[in-house]
Amino acid sequence: MTTAPLEVQEPDVDDVTVTDKPWIVVVWNDPVNLMSYVVYVFQKLFGYSREKATKLMLEVHHDGRSVVSDGPREKCEGDVARLHAHGLWATMEHPA
Amino acid sequence: MFFEIAGPGTIRVTFDEVEVELLRQIPHELEAIYQGTDPDPARDRLFPRPYLDPTEEEAEEQWNALVIPELLRERLEGLAAVLQTLDGGTVVRTVSDLEQTEVTLGPEDLHLWLGVINDARLTLGSRLEITDDTNHREQWQLSPEDPETPARAAYLWLTTLQELLVETMLETLPD
Repeated sequence: MTTAPLEVQEPDVDDVTVTDKPWIVVVWNDPVNLMSYVVYVFQKLFGYSREKATKLMLEVHHDGRSVVSDGPREKCEGDVARLHAHGLWATMEHPA
Repeated sequence: MFFEIAGPGTIRVTFDEVEVELLRQIPHELEAIYQGTDPDPARDRLFPRPYLDPTEEEAEEQWNALVIPELLRERLEGLAAVLQTLDGGTVVRTVSDLEQTEVTLGPEDLHLWLGVINDARLTLGSRLEITDDTNHREQWQLSPEDPETPARAAYLWLTTLQELLVETMLETLPD
């Protein structure tokens, strides 16, 4: 067993900021989807409480859009795919 | 249509013959839209573009190659499931000799049915050009002369059915 200190490489802060900055998943308002259905989809897909799912649904309804999840690109693509499978109009973007 | 709650996340619905006809028609019409190749706003709505950023061209190509076929496969499964439920329904005759079909929908059926009904409503909404301003059913004049009346009536009926099925599903999710 050795007690020699490990050599720690300082991370390049700029690189980390770029690669780690999360993508966001946006759900857009739609005149057809029922409010109750949107709440159901948010709860089912993301495991949100009724309260949180309702808050996000109302944001979509009143503001025209709401950020419903975020994370790395692959995770967001998965979320967008699940939302599309449920008939919600969702897109993903990488905030500047 | 009438219904009774048959257990947690489970509902027994009895459809009139004309309602069964409408429900059987939906999978055929949706399948044609899913598989269509001509430009179609309804299909664009069912399979929206994932990126708004036009520089994400490569990611979008990948999406079209990998994700769209999977979404299409799931949707076709939903259509088959609805037809299968209807085929497995119990046909009953009322005292006035009308035929009705009774189906019991558990959570898995409800999930698949909701997807199909929502797609049908989105498609009708696109065809009828429904907007937030025109989506108030009390404003709708369902006159027999209007060629859009059957589609509007179907849309309203599907809305009622969807509300019922969503309420049943919400009962199974935490408050």
